[in-house]
Amino acid sequence: MTGFMTLEMRRALRDVRYLVLAVAMPIGLYLLFAGLFGSRGQTAQGLPQPTELMVAMVAYGAMWAVFSATGPRIAHERAIGWTRQLRVTPLSPASALSGKLVTALAAALPAMVLVALTAVVSHHVQLSAAQWPAMLAAMWAGVLPLALLGLAIGYLAGDEVAFPLTMALYFALGPLGGLWMPLSTMPHVMQDIAQFLPSNAVAELGWRITGGQASVPKAVLVLAAWTLGSGLVALLAYRRRATGPAS
Amino acid sequence: MVQRAGGVRPAVWAVGLGKSYGSTVALADLDLRVAVGETVALLGPNGAGKTTTIGVLLGLLSPDAGQVQVYGRLPSQAITGGLVGAMLQDAGLMPGVRVGELLAMVRGLYPRPLPFDDLVGLADLGSLLARRADRLSGGQAQRVRFAVAIAGDPLLLVLDEPTAAMDVQARRNFWRQIHGFTGRGRTVLFATHYLQEADDAADRVVVIAGGRKVADGPPAAIKARFGDQQVRFTLVQGARAQLAALDGVRAVDHDHARVTLHSVDIDATVRSLVSSGLAWSGLEVGGLDLETSFLRLLGEQP
Repeated sequence: MTGFMTLEMRRALRDVRYLVLAVAMPIGLYLLFAGLFGSRGQTAQGLPQPTELMVAMVAYGAMWAVFSATGPRIAHERAIGWTRQLRVTPLSPASALSGKLVTALAAALPAMVLVALTAVVSHHVQLSAAQWPAMLAAMWAGVLPLALLGLAIGYLAGDEVAFPLTMALYFALGPLGGLWMPLSTMPHVMQDIAQFLPSNAVAELGWRITGGQASVPKAVLVLAAWTLGSGLVALLAYRRRATGPAS
Repeated sequence: MVQRAGGVRPAVWAVGLGKSYGSTVALADLDLRVAVGETVALLGPNGAGKTTTIGVLLGLLSPDAGQVQVYGRLPSQAITGGLVGAMLQDAGLMPGVRVGELLAMVRGLYPRPLPFDDLVGLADLGSLLARRADRLSGGQAQRVRFAVAIAGDPLLLVLDEPTAAMDVQARRNFWRQIHGFTGRGRTVLFATHYLQEADDAADRVVVIAGGRKVADGPPAAIKARFGDQQVRFTLVQGARAQLAALDGVRAVDHDHARVTLHSVDIDATVRSLVSSGLAWSGLEVGGLDLETSFLRLLGEQP
């Protein structure tokens, strides 16, 4: 079990798609946006511009990290028959499933830390000694529903569909969740929708913590609801595959 | 429920297995028993139910009817306990990792794996350990899949048409590797649709067709029954009475001057035909293919 997870993680961190979309892209966007919108001034959140952007890009990178380690990869393994081969080893289905989940969450952490590090080095973002771990831990926990969503896609979608579908979600949930542009610049309808998206809720946790506001009931509720919903779908999808005739 | 036969628990024990997909019957009342240390071939044409049988034995499928035990346990328990290794048809390898990493990981899943160096030696993977498992040629991937199957030093090795895509030389090498592994009292069950392969590699052959067992016996007996091969030629000169006396001939058919000899040993028949002094032309040598002979046999079943 530990050997399985270690190898899954090593593989996740070597994946070019992971490095480009979970690490290079959020860092690139951070440098671009922070350059465009200036490194001074307050945002609607009451945060310095570079800090707000950092949180948004930490959320964005973490989102692709958990997606890339789940949806497309699981769908591909099902298609080529590796899932089936693994089922005739002593690794239990529950261990295989939880191994995927833990790997996805583990893959998020380096992406998050590297984006934060970029913000510190390039725009001298400063947080208190308590805020750094609090922000990272809260946002890390917050990507759990996105990882479950990735698992659900992996066990539902075919090999050709899973990657474009995950990409589409990644590119939709970012801007719609207010990670590219502040929500306040969007139409009201969009703002109303954004509050219920997991991408926005993850960033909201980070913004609240870096802004010194401890209470984040709404974002936590949104994430809890997404965790329940996508967790249930993932479980049903997995069970359907595990008991069906093919993979 | 534990089966005992002379105090020895069989490696595989299955009775009355049934499985249907909608109106398609994949298995019907199939019994299968494999003793410890035996190498048994599951022989049948495509769609006979070989893969379904293996799926049930490995706990990948649950049968609609019947019971199955592997070393006295439920299939899923035997798998979890590391008693079984399997090469599934078209099963892939973990993408994005090196062969050495993959084998180390799979070994780690079993309670008593083969020593790493033994494993690499048996599957002849020394030169491939640093290669990516998803960038191998077909033959190389097959060797890695074999290594994955035996990594846990299983008591029972199950192989579903392991040589389907191989040429003769590759098939010979593959069976040499299998025998390298099974020399130590290991049990092997393999599916094939090559009669010759079953004859070469198995101690016993179980023939299935249409989801039913149609024959079960030593390879020689199965070959004599199913391996009907024919020599056809036009008899130019000579007595027809001589034909039935040629070596290996089981039956003779005539269509005017065109003769068909049914043989149980095609080499011997051709050799004795050549030295018989008969004059003939338009020689053809061929077999009733396995599928046809299964279907014919199925037609004889009640």
